[in-house]
Amino acid sequence: MNTAYLLVPLLLPLMGVPITLFMRKQRRMQSVTALMLMLISLGFSFGLLRTVQTTLEPVQFQLGLWQAPFGITLAADLLSVFMLIMTQLVLCAGLIYALGSTEKVVQYPTFYPLFLALSGGLSGAFITGDIFNLFVFAEIIVISGAALTAIADDKYGVEAAYKYFYISTLASVFFLMGVGSLYVAYGTLNYADLADRIAVNPAAPLGLTGMAFLTATFLIKGAVFPFHFWQPDFHAAAPTAVSAMLSSLVVKMGVYGFFRMTTLLFATEADMLKTLLVVLGVVGVLYGGFGALGTHNAKRMLAYSTLAQIGFILVGIGWGTPLSLAAALVFTFNHAIIKAAMLMLAGAMASRAAVKSASFDVIVGVGKYHPFAGFLFLLGGMALAGIPPLNGFVSKLMIFWSGVEAAQYLSLAIIGVASIVTLVYIIRAFTRVWFESNPEVKPKQGDQLLAPTLLILLALLLGVWSEPLVSIAQATAAWILEPGAYIAAIMGGG
Amino acid sequence: MSLLTSLAVGILFAAGIYQILRRNVIRAAIGLVLLSNAVNLFLFSAGAYNGAAAAYSTATSQISDPLPQALVLTAIVISMGGFAFVLSLLYVISTRYKTSDSDEVKGLKN
Repeated sequence: MNTAYLLVPLLLPLMGVPITLFMRKQRRMQSVTALMLMLISLGFSFGLLRTVQTTLEPVQFQLGLWQAPFGITLAADLLSVFMLIMTQLVLCAGLIYALGSTEKVVQYPTFYPLFLALSGGLSGAFITGDIFNLFVFAEIIVISGAALTAIADDKYGVEAAYKYFYISTLASVFFLMGVGSLYVAYGTLNYADLADRIAVNPAAPLGLTGMAFLTATFLIKGAVFPFHFWQPDFHAAAPTAVSAMLSSLVVKMGVYGFFRMTTLLFATEADMLKTLLVVLGVVGVLYGGFGALGTHNAKRMLAYSTLAQIGFILVGIGWGTPLSLAAALVFTFNHAIIKAAMLMLAGAMASRAAVKSASFDVIVGVGKYHPFAGFLFLLGGMALAGIPPLNGFVSKLMIFWSGVEAAQYLSLAIIGVASIVTLVYIIRAFTRVWFESNPEVKPKQGDQLLAPTLLILLALLLGVWSEPLVSIAQATAAWILEPGAYIAAIMGGG
Repeated sequence: MSLLTSLAVGILFAAGIYQILRRNVIRAAIGLVLLSNAVNLFLFSAGAYNGAAAAYSTATSQISDPLPQALVLTAIVISMGGFAFVLSLLYVISTRYKTSDSDEVKGLKN
């Protein structure tokens, strides 16, 4: 299907950047406009999902109306729409959190424009069908994310932003090298055309070089083990509303890249890549889990926990069976919701502490006057560790089940043991903040809890009634394992 | 000509990586610029040698591929924006930490 309707969820946030910039004098109007724009584009994303589900082929739009391999293609298949809905849901929650935040950074005139630029970059990265266009959207994400961290209340925000920007610029250099190599080898940049030509001639000179460069890029973007070192610093120093987005959504761009690489672009020779992903995923699960145990800061602990959770997703992609891909998708979705909620709760507690910091020494005992936040934190922690009535249980169950089905017992055993560590650090954080007494704690106003409450409710709902999400994920996994249909739909011009 | 371009790409990459690994933050930023120029030259050379006429001409000889040039143009603009951003970050860092040695910028270590 060929329609300009696809542009709406991308253009609304991007147009919102100048619109909200003009409203910089009217703070309230600016923030409400940003939220309204995101809610409307979320509605359109659900509309897209409906269209894609009924027609069973990607919705596409050829920019400039040039036919597929020549112009830039925007194409939303099931995978893109799945990631798009996840992104925009969590971004809306992030904006709601920012509305009720007491941090100085949300008063900054360019906060909402930058936030919308981040939203536009993420939405664009998921619906583009052109590899160079993906690079452009990745740059938008990097610059807006780094700028949002640089203006943080945290006095080390600038340092963290500098570190992140440095690493990301290197990733961009790798990305461009990969794009250039693929262009030399196959003479095209469109996903569908590229996949078609790689399948015909997998051994073209520089083809594998391009694959290696793209792998390195997505490993850096996803903060996977050997390239993870920037992530805990960066995510802990960012403003709460932003760090929730960074840790739950921005790293998912790397995950999305691996979905595309293993099932579409390099589908014929993905075995090498899949083995690498399983190994790095297992290492990430172990490293992230034990790293989270060793931290002294709640936000930093959750950032390390993201390393472990991304590891689970990569293992699922690496196993590559229909069930494990569906499990990886469900895990991606659920992790985005849980991690955003947990970081918001940690940030909300930090805003109520005597000194504004998420360090355990500062927020110890702060929970005394906020039992409801403690209840939410416990529910979120249970979801993170994978305990029944919550959505984390569904994702972990699916991962383990698919591992048994794929007979990958070694990696399964390691990640099974390592996932128990989650419970240890969550319980430790919970007891320190809500059960230990601290005579210096006084009741204090802080960030509002509406956004994390909504997200935890969603996590509970997706745990009790997980059937829609799981069935969409299974349909998506079945769809991406048949790249021929995608290629035919795009190259046929719709 | 192709030998010259490949040598230039190689030298720019070597110089860029050497600079980016230095402790002085200004030199490291210059390393970033060198690296992005190296990669731009590489992209440019992807379509530079198979044409004898400009893409818009009606001549019958083989025209050169205009796409890499468009890509390079986009990449140059993006790296310019990125470099401006890095410089502004460096300005704040140098006023806040009173140093240009990246080993001294270590507030996050605690």
